[in-house]
Amino acid sequence: MRPLLLLTVANIKSFTRDRAALFWTLAFPLIFVVLFGSIFSGGTNERSIGYADLDATPASAQLKTAFGSVTGVKLVDGSEDDLLARMRKGEVSAVIVVPKGFGDTVAAKASPADVTVYTDPSQSQADAATRQLVGFVLSAANQAATGQPPAVVPSFQPIQTNDLTFISYLVPSILGMSLMQLGIFSSIPLVADREKLILKRLHATPLRRWQLVGSNILMRLLIAVFQTAIIVSVGSAAYHVQIAGSWLLIGALVLLGSLAFIALGYVIASFAKSEESANGMTSVVQFPLMFLSGTFFPIDAMPDALKTVARALPLTYLGDGLRQVMVDGTPFAPLWVCFAFLAVWLVVCFAIAARYFRWQ
Amino acid sequence: MTSLTTAGADPVIRVSGLQKWYGETRAVDGVSFEVPAGTVFGLLGPNGAGKTTTVEVLEGLRTPDAGDVRILGLDAVGEADALKARIGVSLQTAALYPKLTVVEVLDLFRSFYGRGRATDELVGLMDLGEKRTTRTANLSGGQRQRLSVALALVNDPELVFLDEPTTGMDPAARRALWDIILALKAEGRTVLLTTHYLEEAEVLCDRVAIMDHGKILEEGTVEDLVGRHFQERAVRFDAVDGLADERLGAMAGVSSVKREDGEVIVYTRDVAATIGAVLEACEALGSEPKNLAVRRATLEDVFLDLTGRALRD
Repeated sequence: MRPLLLLTVANIKSFTRDRAALFWTLAFPLIFVVLFGSIFSGGTNERSIGYADLDATPASAQLKTAFGSVTGVKLVDGSEDDLLARMRKGEVSAVIVVPKGFGDTVAAKASPADVTVYTDPSQSQADAATRQLVGFVLSAANQAATGQPPAVVPSFQPIQTNDLTFISYLVPSILGMSLMQLGIFSSIPLVADREKLILKRLHATPLRRWQLVGSNILMRLLIAVFQTAIIVSVGSAAYHVQIAGSWLLIGALVLLGSLAFIALGYVIASFAKSEESANGMTSVVQFPLMFLSGTFFPIDAMPDALKTVARALPLTYLGDGLRQVMVDGTPFAPLWVCFAFLAVWLVVCFAIAARYFRWQ
Repeated sequence: MTSLTTAGADPVIRVSGLQKWYGETRAVDGVSFEVPAGTVFGLLGPNGAGKTTTVEVLEGLRTPDAGDVRILGLDAVGEADALKARIGVSLQTAALYPKLTVVEVLDLFRSFYGRGRATDELVGLMDLGEKRTTRTANLSGGQRQRLSVALALVNDPELVFLDEPTTGMDPAARRALWDIILALKAEGRTVLLTTHYLEEAEVLCDRVAIMDHGKILEEGTVEDLVGRHFQERAVRFDAVDGLADERLGAMAGVSSVKREDGEVIVYTRDVAATIGAVLEACEALGSEPKNLAVRRATLEDVFLDLTGRALRD
């Protein structure tokens, strides 16, 4: 075990002293998260709703408190015209107007009190969420006003990730992408070590090849855990991305995904003759995976021909699986298919590398 | 340690009929030799002679196409794993992790073995103290070579393979390494080295084998080889225009004449008569032999005789 551990430590040192490796595996994905996070930070889970209280009675104030107490809703005060103008600019996603006389109407219990809600049906998710929210608050208000126990109590199970904003789509996608890079970039130091005769020199010691390969994999898996922690922390701390699913499933996907791409890295190392050609082959593999696997936009939005390509790419399934388990994303493929595809990919790549990899 | 000093009966290295082909090329073509325990054995030859391939088969790095190789009583092919724990290896090109420091590389390699020497001791032995925390990528050629030799000693091996260990070293470092190799021998260890430097072989090696085109041309002690080829002394001088080999060969006591890089070497049993005849002949041509010198025949002469080429740095 000691050689395995020391070799892993040596690999980690070599990795952290390599600026290019650090950039591509740690800084590059974070730049994406921060860049897109800043552009789309309006799309966080917190929703701003304009609230124009034209009545200003205790009853209307009570209603305002009820709306304000809903988590994830921020009320913005203002006049009706002002708020509607702000809604057109996209600063608030809906406007609730409580008309003058609302308090009297509620007190009289003669006719139902009127509340006007402006929504934008073209923003279907926001629209539905607002309707749901208003319905929920008003039914509670009705119950309080009439003193009648409600015949039916709606049970709300708010699933925050139903409101999958772009940034929460992006965080698991970027995680998948960075695991892909971490994996396929394993080819470069491997080929470099072979070129520099380090693999040959190691072969002249009692170190076993499984220890050599094991330490390379172990090092990459440790970095994968580190990467996951950083990307998830930045996503949730800076952009309020809620991680919904089980950590066990997330861990299993991170592990399987990393292994599948490390195996792909070994396949590249099997056919690359020099460090330079390993660099080239890695780029050739990296970019289509990055852009055709639904990392930056959903696969459903792709033309059919590209969809077919996406279906054959392993990052499609890693990204899709991560979105499903982390932010309850809409599945492109069932979760078990994601796992199965990655597992098959791992086995096939491993077999190819075992057949064609040359130590010297 | 007792096993090191008492293992005199069986040779540490026994190679017979070794062959290694690369496609149609016979890199090693039927090589046989033995190396007794506690001796230094030199494998000499020009580039492409098959030295490195031979050594790499012995180190368990390559599988031979034919022949039997027993090292420390073990089969170098079938028992390579057990063998690797007991030998030390320095490859022709120092293979070092570029981003690790001298101490980190030594500690790493030390961890591969069950026994070994302390890193500090090896750093001191190889005079790398000032470079302890330097990354290997920033070492000079000679320092890399020294670190490579230090790595070969990390497991306190019974048998050390050094493939051109002094290449790239300055003369001081080269002599320092000679002392280390002689110290290894004094401790009862066996050393197999390949080298370009015949002087190095003369100083260090108990026995040498001269290899060319995959075959061993001659093998024995340095005195054996020189004595076998030359009872003569060598008289050398810069080539003189108009003084042909035939003329020189006909002089008294001269047995052969060689030319190499503008110098003439005349092997003779009668130094005084030969020098007299050369001076006379030159005078007749209105010239004189520049840089005239007399010396005993060396391994260099043997090598020139065997391969028709000089082996120089």
